[in-house]
Amino acid sequence: MIQKLTFAAFVAFWASVATVLALSALAPDSVASDTDALPEIDAETLAGHASLDDCWMAIEGKVYDFTDYIPKHPTPPSIMAPWCGREATEGMRTKGYGRDHSPAAWAMMDDYLIGTYVD
Amino acid sequence: MTPLQARSLIWVLALLPAIVAVVMLRESDLASPEAVLNYLGRLTGIAGLALMLAAAILSCRVPGFDRPFGGLTKLWWTHHQLATAAFLLLLAHPILLTLAAASVSLDAAVATLLPSGLDWALWTGWGALLLLMLFLGPGYRFFGEPDYQRWKRLHRLAAPAVVLALIHTLYLARTLPWLWEAVLWLGLAALAVVSILYRFSWSRRFGRRPYRVARVVRPANNVVELELEAEGPALTYEAGQFVYLTPRDPSLVAGRGEEHPYTLSSAPGETGLRIAIKALGDASRAIQDIAEGSRVQVEGPYGGFFPQRSSPDAPELWIAGGIGITPFLARARHLAEVGEPVDIVLIFCVQDEARALWLDEFRELATTLPGFSLHMHYFYENGPLDSTFVGERCPNVETRTAYICGPGPLLGLAQKVAHELNIPRSRIVTEEFDLL
Repeated sequence: MIQKLTFAAFVAFWASVATVLALSALAPDSVASDTDALPEIDAETLAGHASLDDCWMAIEGKVYDFTDYIPKHPTPPSIMAPWCGREATEGMRTKGYGRDHSPAAWAMMDDYLIGTYVD
Repeated sequence: MTPLQARSLIWVLALLPAIVAVVMLRESDLASPEAVLNYLGRLTGIAGLALMLAAAILSCRVPGFDRPFGGLTKLWWTHHQLATAAFLLLLAHPILLTLAAASVSLDAAVATLLPSGLDWALWTGWGALLLLMLFLGPGYRFFGEPDYQRWKRLHRLAAPAVVLALIHTLYLARTLPWLWEAVLWLGLAALAVVSILYRFSWSRRFGRRPYRVARVVRPANNVVELELEAEGPALTYEAGQFVYLTPRDPSLVAGRGEEHPYTLSSAPGETGLRIAIKALGDASRAIQDIAEGSRVQVEGPYGGFFPQRSSPDAPELWIAGGIGITPFLARARHLAEVGEPVDIVLIFCVQDEARALWLDEFRELATTLPGFSLHMHYFYENGPLDSTFVGERCPNVETRTAYICGPGPLLGLAQKVAHELNIPRSRIVTEEFDLL
C-alpha cells in the first residue's frame, strides 16, 4: 500500500515537472527582456504612483508596476504600501524578518517591468 | 512509557515546526487561491524537513532507546513512517509553490521550480530531493528487491540530503520569525547530528563488544548456533533480545566485517552468548562455515519482545514459525534456569518434523519446566494454522498474552487466529525482522 502510494507520488511529481517544462518550452515568450526599449522613468514620475491602487516601485535600476500583483503578494497589502512610488530595493532585499526575497520572487518581477529608473 | 506514547512523542516533536507555522498563520496566507497554494507549499516544506530530521534522530540505535517503542523493529517502523510522510510532503512542496507562482506567469512558475545560474537556494533544494529519491526509492522497492548491504550504504546519502535541505530552508525560510526558525531547525538538526555521530562513530568504536567463537553447533543443515565467549566486558541482556553481529573471520566468503541482526538464543544467566543463525542470505549462508576461534563483534542488545520481568505473572501463548522459535528458545532456557512454575502453551509451526529446530530440547523442557506445554503444528499434516487447532490445545486462551514470531505469512495468520480466539489486540505481541 505504502509502496504503491509513494510510487504514484514519485511518478506524479516527475509528470508535473515535465508538464511545466513542456509548457514553458511551447509557450511564446511573454516578456520583452530588452531593457533599452523601455521608457525611462524619473523619481518625480515614480512618486505619482504611490498608492495601493496605483503602485510603482524602483528596484535596482528598474521600475515595476505592482498594482496587479499586490493582491497576490503573501503579506498584507499594508506591508507593501510604504514602498509604492519610491526606490524599494531595500524592501525587496530585507523582506519579512530581515532576509532577501527568493530567487523565484526576483524572477517573478519581470512580468511587471515597465521602465528603467533614472534618479 | 507505552509504545503509543513513545510514538506520539516523536510525531509531536517532528510536527512541531509545522504546528508553529499553523499557529502563526496570517490572514494574507488565505487571501487568494494562489496565497493558499503558496502557504501550503511552504508548510509542506517545513513539515517534510522536520519529519526527515525526526527520522534521522530515530536512526541512532542506542541500546535500550528502542524499548519504549516496543523494540527496534517497531522503532524502525516509526522511522519508516516518518520518512515516508516526509517524502510525500517534500514531493508536493515544489509543485505547490510552482502552482502558486503560475498565477503570476509561466516564467515565474518555471523560475520557482528550476534553478538558474548560481541559485544556491534552489540547487540545494533539488539536491536534497534527488538524494531523497535515490536513497528512499529502494526501500519502497521502486527498482525491485534491494540488496541489503547496497541499500544500507545508499541510505547514508540521507546525511548530505538533510544538510542540503537545511541550507535550502535557512536560505528561503520566511514563514516563521527568525528566532523560531533558528531554535527549531538548529535544535532538531543538533539532535539529528548527535544521533548520526553516535551511530557511525561512537557506537562503532565503543559500542561493539569483542567476542570469540568458542563453538559452532549445527541443529540443522542450514542453521548454526554460535557459542561466543567474551573477550572484554560481557553483554547484559534479556531473553528474546537480538544483537548486531559483525564477524571478522578472514576465511568467510561473504559478510566479513558486515553487521547483521541475529537473535540471542542463550539465557541471560549463561556465561557466554549463543546466537542462532539460519542461512537466508549471502552473509548468513557464509557464516554457517565460520571458524571456531575467530573473532566477532557484538552490538546491542535490542528488541523488547518479552516484558522485562524475569518470569511471567500471567498465562502466555507462544506461536513460533521456523527460525522464529529462537526468542522462545532463549526465554524457555531462561525460565528453566529461574525454575518457577509458569503457564505457557507453545505452538511450534513447521512444515514437518525434520524442520523442527531444537525439538529435543523443547521436549525435554516440556517435561522439566512446570506449566510449560509444547504442541507441534506440521503444515504438511495439519494444513494452515487455525483457531480450532490452537483453541483445542490451549486452555483459557482468551486470558493469555500471545507472543508470535515467525515469517511474515505466519505472523499474519497467527494474529488472525489470536484475534478469533478473543485475545485483545493489546495482548498480542509480534516480532519480525524486516529491513533491519
